[in-house]
Amino acid sequence: MISIKNITKKFPTITALDNISLDINEKELFGLLGPNGAGKSTLMNLLVGYVNADEGEILIDGERISTDNLDIRRKIGLVPQTLALYDDLSAQDNLEIFGSFFNLKKSALKYVVAEKLNMVQLYDRKKDKVKTFSGGMKRRLNLAASLLHDPQIILCDEPTVGVDPQSRNAIFEYLIKLNEQGKTIIYTTHYMEEAERLCSRIAIIDFGKIISTGVIETLLESLPYSQTILINKNHSTEKKTELFQKFGELINEQDKYELKPTNKLKLSEFFASMEENGINYESIEIKKPSLEALFLHLTGRRLRD
Amino acid sequence: MKTILNLIKKDYILFWHDKPAVSLTFLVPIILIYIFGSIFSGGGSPQGIRMAFINNSNASVAKKIETALDTSSSFKIIKSYINDKGKEVKFDTNSVKDFIRRGNASAALIIPEDAYTDTSTSLRLKFYYDPKNAIEMQMIQGLLQQTIMAEIPSVFTASMQRKAESYLGMEKGSSFNRQIASVISKYYNVDTSVILHGMKYSFSDSVGSDSSRKAGNFFSNILQMDKEQLVGANVTSPDATRSVGGWAVMFLLFTITGASTSLFDESKSGVILRILSSPISRVQILWSKYLYNISLGCIQLFVLFFMGYLLFNINIFSNFLNLVLMIIAASAASTAFGMLLAAFCKTAAQASGLGTFLILTMSAVGGAWFPTFILPPFIQIISKLTIVYWAVDGFLKVLWNGYGFMDILPYLGVLIAIAVVVNLVSLWKFKRGTIL
Repeated sequence: MISIKNITKKFPTITALDNISLDINEKELFGLLGPNGAGKSTLMNLLVGYVNADEGEILIDGERISTDNLDIRRKIGLVPQTLALYDDLSAQDNLEIFGSFFNLKKSALKYVVAEKLNMVQLYDRKKDKVKTFSGGMKRRLNLAASLLHDPQIILCDEPTVGVDPQSRNAIFEYLIKLNEQGKTIIYTTHYMEEAERLCSRIAIIDFGKIISTGVIETLLESLPYSQTILINKNHSTEKKTELFQKFGELINEQDKYELKPTNKLKLSEFFASMEENGINYESIEIKKPSLEALFLHLTGRRLRD
Repeated sequence: MKTILNLIKKDYILFWHDKPAVSLTFLVPIILIYIFGSIFSGGGSPQGIRMAFINNSNASVAKKIETALDTSSSFKIIKSYINDKGKEVKFDTNSVKDFIRRGNASAALIIPEDAYTDTSTSLRLKFYYDPKNAIEMQMIQGLLQQTIMAEIPSVFTASMQRKAESYLGMEKGSSFNRQIASVISKYYNVDTSVILHGMKYSFSDSVGSDSSRKAGNFFSNILQMDKEQLVGANVTSPDATRSVGGWAVMFLLFTITGASTSLFDESKSGVILRILSSPISRVQILWSKYLYNISLGCIQLFVLFFMGYLLFNINIFSNFLNLVLMIIAASAASTAFGMLLAAFCKTAAQASGLGTFLILTMSAVGGAWFPTFILPPFIQIISKLTIVYWAVDGFLKVLWNGYGFMDILPYLGVLIAIAVVVNLVSLWKFKRGTIL
């Protein structure tokens, strides 16, 4: 179990983390959700013992993490946000180098390198230089390089940035599989859909503070509405925005309106009003609220603002 | 046209914000132009070249030469040394030779007791030298010749007079001069005493003219300079032996700086973060970088010296152990320099730009390209603050002079001291920096 207690981390011009507390259970796939600059990577750096906190402490199975505690790092595998690889070396050389930092025996290292290359489907390209790889392949190798010592805890710091959908799905599958094998995974992202797809429990972080923590479904239940209404933009709906605003908060998206209804809204009344005003049902879609909506509700800002 | 101007403006803005590029464009060439300009322009002629000197002669011409050397700004004349008991002692032949062999000066001029007693020749001098720097030796000999030649016409006149007096006798010689003066006085209506005075000083007055230069060639034939090379006579490939250390040290600094600043690339790519997420500490990373750079430097220097052996037959094996010690010390000091750059610079580009500037400047003033004695005096002081100076001179002492461990100890000591002090500063800075 990972226990983050009252952590504060300040840099000369900014307080990156402000009195954060979190508990992450063993074998959990935990999401840390927040916009860029919210403090996610700083928390990851603290979790791996890269930097020390100014205040508070982080415990893994009761053992305190710090820059001086090197042994505890054997339990942790960090997948950095950047592609932390040597471009001029082959995939195999990269993994052998990073694996050697954990003092694996030569035969064991060879075995585990082959295993991880197989896992991320790069075994056939093991002799190729990393600089010849696509962005997605590099991301997969970046993940493999963090798993060589078979860590109990995997820290994924936005591991799908700049990745094509196919590689992103592949990475999701690896992580789900690892979680099923009993690994604890902390996954930071500013993509709501990623957190929704992968994580059972999340913490939403903004300006260095945890603003909400819990199981996704429970968090969504805290919203003042249980559905979101999406209205396609067309020549008839674009003239009726004042009408929609009577039923709740209307957000103008690129090709549609998103209506966050008030508590009192009855869907039957809404649809009757639409019919009276000549708006086709096909233009309307009812959805469950997303984490995006939750973030907006909690912070008053869009996640990608 | 406005578009093109905007594009040009954009390039200037980018250029101005690229400080390494600005420094390499302006600062580096300005400093190098100054250094080379000081060397090759008149204002930068060599000053204070150390030369040992003994005058055992009582002849007036010997005194004149001594005075000329004493007052020459080109030379710093050394006439005594401090002995083992800390007492200042005047040179004798043995001690002056030892002084040269120890590298305290590159040359010694001896005016022997009998320099001017043998009437068959004009003047006999002894010259001991250590040609560890070919340029320096050429300049010393040139300047020495120039200084002595300025006194030669009077020597020649005196010698001729001495010969005439010895052949004709004092009275007849003087009578001959008076008769000649009388004839000239009659035809040109000039006072006899003026002509006699002119005859006496005609040679010395014409120094610097065309005729004096011709006379100089003639006089050089009557000046007997006994030369003895005290150091490096057995060096198989003098020119290559002299230059290999300087070039090797300069490229060592480039290599090590590049290797040290690789920390920036590793930091930027996140590899440092990955390494530090494994059971490895920052201190271990720094130690590994330091030892790697030293070993790389040692390998590079050894390969360069070995190539010197293969290509130019530079004798690297006769004093091999001391060469190895110098290689290690030079690599350690160069590594410290590279780590200092990595610690204080904020980006790889900044480190590379500043590194290039400092390496070229240190190479120019430290003796990697040319001997330091031709630099202006204040730059000679600066040169002693550079790694290049101590490394280049140390290698020369090993390869040229064949110095033993005790003799190169000062060079090893200075280089290791630089390494230790600079590394402590780097370590202090690394702890406060962001690269690790």
